[in-house]
Amino acid sequence: MRIHIVKRENCSLLQKCGLYVGAVLIALVLGGVLLLSIGVDPIAYYTEMFTMGTIGNRIAYKTFMNYLKDFVPLVLTSVALSLAFKMRFWNIGGEGQFIMGAIATAWVAIKLGGVLPTAVVLILMCLAAMVAAGLYGLLVAALKVKFGTNETLLTLMLNYVALYVLTYLLETKAAWNFFLEPTALRPVPQSFDNVVSFPSIPLGGKFALNICVILALAVGALIYVYLKYTKQGYEIAVVGDSAGTARYAGMKVNRIVLRTVFLSACLVGLAAAFKVGTVGTISTTITNDVGWTGIIVAWLSQLNTGVIFVVSALICVLHTGSVEAAASFSRVDSSFANMLQGVILFLILAADFFIRFRVVITKKGDRNHG
Amino acid sequence: MKKILALVLVAVLALGMVACAPAGNEEVFKVGAIYINSKNDTAGYTYAHHNGITTAMKSLGMDVDKQLVIVDEVPEDKQKVAAAIDTLVGKGAKIIFGISFGYIDAMEEAAAKYPDVIFSHGTGYKSNETNFNNYFGRAYQARYLAGIAAGLKSLETGNNNVGYVAAHTTDYAETASGINGFALGVQAVNPNAKIYVKNLNNWADEVNEKAYAEELINSYNCGVISQHCDSAQPQIAAQNANVFGCGYNSDMTPDAPKAHLTAAIWNWNVYYATAIKAAQECGEAKNFVTKMGGSAYYGGLKEGFVDVSPLSENCAAGTDKAIEAVRALMVSGEWDVFSGVKLNITVTDGVANVEKVNAALESNGFEYKDGDFKVPMDNVVVVEAGDPSVADGVITGTMNYLVRGVQEV
Repeated sequence: MRIHIVKRENCSLLQKCGLYVGAVLIALVLGGVLLLSIGVDPIAYYTEMFTMGTIGNRIAYKTFMNYLKDFVPLVLTSVALSLAFKMRFWNIGGEGQFIMGAIATAWVAIKLGGVLPTAVVLILMCLAAMVAAGLYGLLVAALKVKFGTNETLLTLMLNYVALYVLTYLLETKAAWNFFLEPTALRPVPQSFDNVVSFPSIPLGGKFALNICVILALAVGALIYVYLKYTKQGYEIAVVGDSAGTARYAGMKVNRIVLRTVFLSACLVGLAAAFKVGTVGTISTTITNDVGWTGIIVAWLSQLNTGVIFVVSALICVLHTGSVEAAASFSRVDSSFANMLQGVILFLILAADFFIRFRVVITKKGDRNHG
Repeated sequence: MKKILALVLVAVLALGMVACAPAGNEEVFKVGAIYINSKNDTAGYTYAHHNGITTAMKSLGMDVDKQLVIVDEVPEDKQKVAAAIDTLVGKGAKIIFGISFGYIDAMEEAAAKYPDVIFSHGTGYKSNETNFNNYFGRAYQARYLAGIAAGLKSLETGNNNVGYVAAHTTDYAETASGINGFALGVQAVNPNAKIYVKNLNNWADEVNEKAYAEELINSYNCGVISQHCDSAQPQIAAQNANVFGCGYNSDMTPDAPKAHLTAAIWNWNVYYATAIKAAQECGEAKNFVTKMGGSAYYGGLKEGFVDVSPLSENCAAGTDKAIEAVRALMVSGEWDVFSGVKLNITVTDGVANVEKVNAALESNGFEYKDGDFKVPMDNVVVVEAGDPSVADGVITGTMNYLVRGVQEV
């Protein structure tokens, strides 16, 4: 008996959906068995998880607002990373670029908040974040173009450099350190949410829609158009398919790489500006791991901008729902909730494999190749 | 394969229908908590608090499974804390405990945003007059008692060097007051003792907790190792080197049965029971601080909030008598650690004699300021001889020096 893995040519949409739904269901059943084993009713747990605990919640609007605060940075970072991935530039430095953007945003907000008009400060915050993150990404692209360095390793390592810079800034109590609250006895990050923050639009009741959600949608639409209908977008696709072909066609590959990576990192910086400008402070956990989660989102969406929005939204439901559900069940801690999320994502990736390939088992002696 | 999937799908959907039946809406008093680590921890800081809350709830006849809602593994990130508070308020928590210092600003803002919910912040210093208080304990009192045990052991072994592995030193009043309380306890028994402190600069670092203890034993010839860190590694290191030690947070005798003397411990349930009872009885949330008799709860030996764990067989003779005598002084309020009155404790033939002497409380000459640990102090006298104890605010907030006889290495 021989097992072949054969590329699947045309998997129908129905089949695809079936495989994904099946993967989630298997994950839930596995999780259910584990929940039962620690004495928790899986159905009650899952109900709470997939409704994000909003049933019977007296401030459900808050849950949605917090949900959107997680959603905006994730979707923007995923879109940003997909730009670089399309060109086969493995930018796994989303975390580091996000942190650099966050530091720049906070810097501008603390120094200029209350000095200049709010709208101006907000725009400057975004620009500063985009430049800081963009340059942090561009550095790696320049090294790759000039010396052929490995961008996967460099972006990965620069994540930790950025994190330690941020940790240093937030844990070093000193007279020069304006990132910290001057009056606090211990190192506490400065808050500026009552000085400058992105406005929200009240939408009836107590729910208010943060302007960043609309901006993120707009950026998503722009990137979609950019990739699909502009010359530069086309260049990215060609370089991604084959740098040699692009060169042969007279494209300036190095310039395209530099430009695209800068743009990718810029957008990660914008995500950071939106996040920091909404929560009004920074912390060492400000990224909420979007630089990592964004990679998964981008690949699950097969780098399709529209799909990234859907996948980000679903992953955030999973995140928020896990916290909400774990809070209600005293035996379930957040590690368990994280593990369940991991199982679900892992099986979805497995389903993804079965969408692209199929496994063919041939009997011994059968000479037909699949 | 498809058949199996279909079956699973049907099963899940069917069960889902059943689950959607509305839950009962009976009004139960819910307690909310935000933890820095996992609620399923079996040791350490979060465990101590979780154990305190569940013990308190059970003592008040409450059902932990139904009445306690927790968001755990919440980092000191304002937005994440705020989101965790929203979650707990949404689930109907009437009182919310936050156990980590960095939750402070998020809790302060939440107290203003949700006036009908009580917020109680552990180790913090912010509060208001209605629904927001903070709580901490006089750990320095327990440490003084542990210091007596360490001091008597140093007399017995004839080795005046005592080591102390600390998460932080003078950069946090919590650690500085702990080191000082312990050191003064040691010196009350053994005036010639020297206390060497190693700064981990980290609240949890098991590898260095062990390595630093070993360094104190090997390089500074310390015969007793005390600690302000979560794990029992310093005690285990002491046992491996055939010296002795005083633990922290929980009784560490099981971890190092041949080395451990006694540990300064917290009984968090004492506070949690008091606070939950007050929250249930105060009617509206705005009456909570009045009901608690103030916006800062600072319990000590008297309330049973802090204590020393049962003395092990390793303790020198008469340790129990000496500790009991000094404990009585602190419980009655007659004397406290950081005052201008020093205790001279002598143990002869198993009888402890405690003598009170007016003596200035002096620092070792340095203080911590803006990131610098070695700023020389103009006046090393912190409390004049005979004067009363420093204010509680100093012990919880501004103590940034170590007392004479303590050396940071």
